[in-house]
Amino acid sequence: MKSVYRALAGLISICVVIQAMAIALAWFTVLKDTDDGLVFDKNSDPNVGHLIHSIVGSMVIPLLAILLLIISFFAKVEGGVRWALYVFGLVALQFGLAAASFGAPVVGALHGANAFALLAVAGIAARKAAASSTVTTAASAETSTEATA
Amino acid sequence: MMMAKRPGRRTVIALVATLVVLAPIAWFWQRSLVPGDLSPMAMGYADYGGGPATHTHHGQDVSTLKGPSGPADVTVDLVARKERFDVPGRGPMSGYTLNHTSPGPQIVAKQGDLIQVTLHNESVPEGITLHWHGVDVPNAEDGVAGVTQDAIGPGQSFVYRFVAKDAGTYWYHSHQVSHEQVKKGLYGVLVVQPTATDVVAAVHTYDKVRTVNGGYGERRVAAPGSTVRVRLINTDNGPMIAWVDGAPYRVMAVDGTDVNEPSEVSGKSVVVTAGGRIDLQVTMPQGSAVRIGLGGGPTTLVIGDGNAPTGAQPSDPVDLLSYGKPADLGFDPAKATRNFNYNIGRSPGFFDGKPGLWWTINGHQFPDVPMFMVTEGDVVRMTIKNTSGQVHPMHLHGHHVVVLSRDGVAATGSPWWTDSLNVEDNETYEVAFVADNPGIWMDHCHNLPHAAQGLVTHLMYSGVSTNFHLGGKPSNQPE
Repeated sequence: MKSVYRALAGLISICVVIQAMAIALAWFTVLKDTDDGLVFDKNSDPNVGHLIHSIVGSMVIPLLAILLLIISFFAKVEGGVRWALYVFGLVALQFGLAAASFGAPVVGALHGANAFALLAVAGIAARKAAASSTVTTAASAETSTEATA
Repeated sequence: MMMAKRPGRRTVIALVATLVVLAPIAWFWQRSLVPGDLSPMAMGYADYGGGPATHTHHGQDVSTLKGPSGPADVTVDLVARKERFDVPGRGPMSGYTLNHTSPGPQIVAKQGDLIQVTLHNESVPEGITLHWHGVDVPNAEDGVAGVTQDAIGPGQSFVYRFVAKDAGTYWYHSHQVSHEQVKKGLYGVLVVQPTATDVVAAVHTYDKVRTVNGGYGERRVAAPGSTVRVRLINTDNGPMIAWVDGAPYRVMAVDGTDVNEPSEVSGKSVVVTAGGRIDLQVTMPQGSAVRIGLGGGPTTLVIGDGNAPTGAQPSDPVDLLSYGKPADLGFDPAKATRNFNYNIGRSPGFFDGKPGLWWTINGHQFPDVPMFMVTEGDVVRMTIKNTSGQVHPMHLHGHHVVVLSRDGVAATGSPWWTDSLNVEDNETYEVAFVADNPGIWMDHCHNLPHAAQGLVTHLMYSGVSTNFHLGGKPSNQPE
């Protein structure tokens, strides 16, 4: 369970990086398209960068965050539930910031900053699980020694 | 060994916590699913607009509300195909054609002509229909898959018959999987009572390639006279800012209805919303051409010989609320028998199982949206309020509505009759119309992807019902 917790938290971190890459790809593509005489407006379909960003952002990361929270109930990671809740909260906040940014693009700057907060918190959660599993190994070693004694 | 003895407490807490997390998500997800087979009759909830309740079940079937029989004055055969076609100035494009072209053939009729269009689907896998945008046709000829007919599958045909009773600029397009099919080419122009000085400017964007009359880049046409009537048609999903470089103009008609006493305009643009049409009268300058700006970008229409000014987009649009002179509406909106609200919002959640931000009508999400119920002869007022964060070009089928006010400011110009109304974010329009065309009529956003995301409802007449279904065996998917 701890390794699942660690893997999920790690996947969320990776997804955040993918999001940054995808959105850069999206808007550089738009710049090149318009330079080539295409239009980017309400008639334009999202390009591959937009698609990745919206699928990963609205489906993959929220799903991973929910799974992490559920796994945290079962995995005995020290502070695991708390950190999974932080991750979940930041993902919810990220969605909310994105929603607000369509009307007020300046909020988009916070959406960008919050991505780093999510990256950090998911990273800490993964480390907690890693640390916790070494502690547990040590602890169970102690327990068995005690039992023998 | 301790674990084996007491698996209970912690696991139970964890399971309960899991349920607490999952249950609301599952509930909202399940609630958002749109049935795969849905009758428009069973959709949403009835809104009587403060008028008497009506009963629509077991009424006259929409398929009986046909155009007149007898010999047609204008006969058109259209064959729809999925194929590649050429966009002059840009190159090949894959999409859909009518008689091997996109846009399809321009249909021209005199006022009062009976038009008969036989539409054959040769190779469009999802099925097709044709909707006569802006023409107040009888309901069975309206071409909405799942509401007024079944989608015409490959190998099948359908005949549309209607009288071109109002002169003006119109267009036609598929109303089956319309957000895909229109964009990829299933559309064309319809002009009733053309003049000798017409220049059509039908603007369409294929996969980021903006075209006018099917061509990309600067397109040039000869001036048909010393004054020219430019018929602007926006077949796209967003409002188009259009303007004239090199000459003043008058706004002669909006959505197929003449403007009363239009004044001369210079240094201003016009907003042609998605699905909308605006006719301009341009007096040609001596010895030079004029350029029609079409939403910015590289595609423009140059009329006449000689140099055309490059110009720039004017900052202000003509405000149709105060343009022209008032005239008789032909009915009294103060005597409205029904008052509807069409509040457009947006909220986070699921739509058909997909998370995102989704449109709402009066706080409800498709298909649980208000059905506006009327009786023939009703005078109807509708307040359209948009707080959704984005502009919506609202299109009511089968009727023209007249604008009474915007944001509480009463209309003071020519009667502003419209079928495609540009409602910006944080705008409120009050419109009115006479319910004089029985049927079941879509009332939706003409940003077609928005319609596909659920910004759709119906105007329903008492005594009319439909046996067609959304989804179902013909896979009717009007949006």
